[in-house]
Amino acid sequence: MYYKSLTVAAALFLAAGWASAHHSVAAVFGNEIIELTGVITDMDWINPHTHIYLDVTQEDGSVITWELESSPTAMLRKGGLTKAKIIGDGRPVTARVQPARPETGTPYRAYTKRLTYADGHYYVLSAE
Amino acid sequence: MNIRVSRYLVTVVASLWVVPTIAAEAPLAADGHPDLSGTWDNGSGVDFVEAVFDGDSVCLRGCAAGPQPTQRGDRPTYKPEYMAKVADLEERQVDEDTVLRCFSPGLPRIGPPDKIVQTPNEIIFLYDDYTGNYFRVVPMDGRPHRIDVEPGFLGDAIGWWEDDTLVVESVNFNDDTWLTDDGSFHTTDLKVIERISRDGDTLQWLATAHDPEILAEPWELRPRIAQLTDDEILEAPPCIDRDLDHIVENLHHDNVR
Repeated sequence: MYYKSLTVAAALFLAAGWASAHHSVAAVFGNEIIELTGVITDMDWINPHTHIYLDVTQEDGSVITWELESSPTAMLRKGGLTKAKIIGDGRPVTARVQPARPETGTPYRAYTKRLTYADGHYYVLSAE
Repeated sequence: MNIRVSRYLVTVVASLWVVPTIAAEAPLAADGHPDLSGTWDNGSGVDFVEAVFDGDSVCLRGCAAGPQPTQRGDRPTYKPEYMAKVADLEERQVDEDTVLRCFSPGLPRIGPPDKIVQTPNEIIFLYDDYTGNYFRVVPMDGRPHRIDVEPGFLGDAIGWWEDDTLVVESVNFNDDTWLTDDGSFHTTDLKVIERISRDGDTLQWLATAHDPEILAEPWELRPRIAQLTDDEILEAPPCIDRDLDHIVENLHHDNVR
């Protein structure tokens, strides 16, 4: 697991090293991968990371908004992706993500691996 | 039409096909120098991302055997007395590397230009970096460097031609940037020489950083290649870091550019 996480971290920060490098996502996000299902309500098309907002309805009916960090805009452009494409059509989306480490104090933040949409199409945004 | 004439016509037609190809391999500007104008895709530093498409689905990473990023090793060599400082800065990259706070990466860390606009008297470099859009104006008329202005992240450039290679010399840098992401600091005496040449639709960018007070030798960066593209550069989205306050490890990573 340790080596696997190193590989993932290496891939992520190589992926994020397009211009001049920045910190590793491993400095914020853990190794565990979970799945969330919710509705994407918005996206910040900014650098050095984009941010996707996913509303996840809990069993008691309350809604928690997760902030999902993702690739920089230049990388998303490489895949022809836009903010509108990632937000989708308002139907539920399943997100495979790496949650932030507990010690960061940011319980509902995560790094995005894959988004799968209601019609089955998907975007793999970082190496799984 | 006899066979001899037919062969002649075939030769002429073949020549007509060949001529434009030759012209495309060596485009020249009106002044006879190579024309470097164009938008040049160097992958925005993400040239190792090879998107795989499957209908409406897209996989950006891990689905194709794309070109591998350069491994660690493309690094300047410091004089022994400065190695401890480099190591210390590398350890504290999260606190010290201004790029993490969306400052300009500076030269040569920014890499080759994403777009070149060439005129006889000046050449304009445009950059679509994740930290923002940048420009450099390279006078070609023989004027000296401007050193009466505030030092900058990308310095003051002047250029000239050496045969078919554009040579750009830049000085007057601030010392707020690093040469790479691993603590490779520089002084305000930094001088960067870029050598840019074109072969058809391929641009080669070579750069050497000179900082003789601290570097054991001039640092020659690995050659960078860019391809002519019709995918125009765009307005850079704002660069706003949201992670630094949440970092729990002082991790850094290699500069693949």
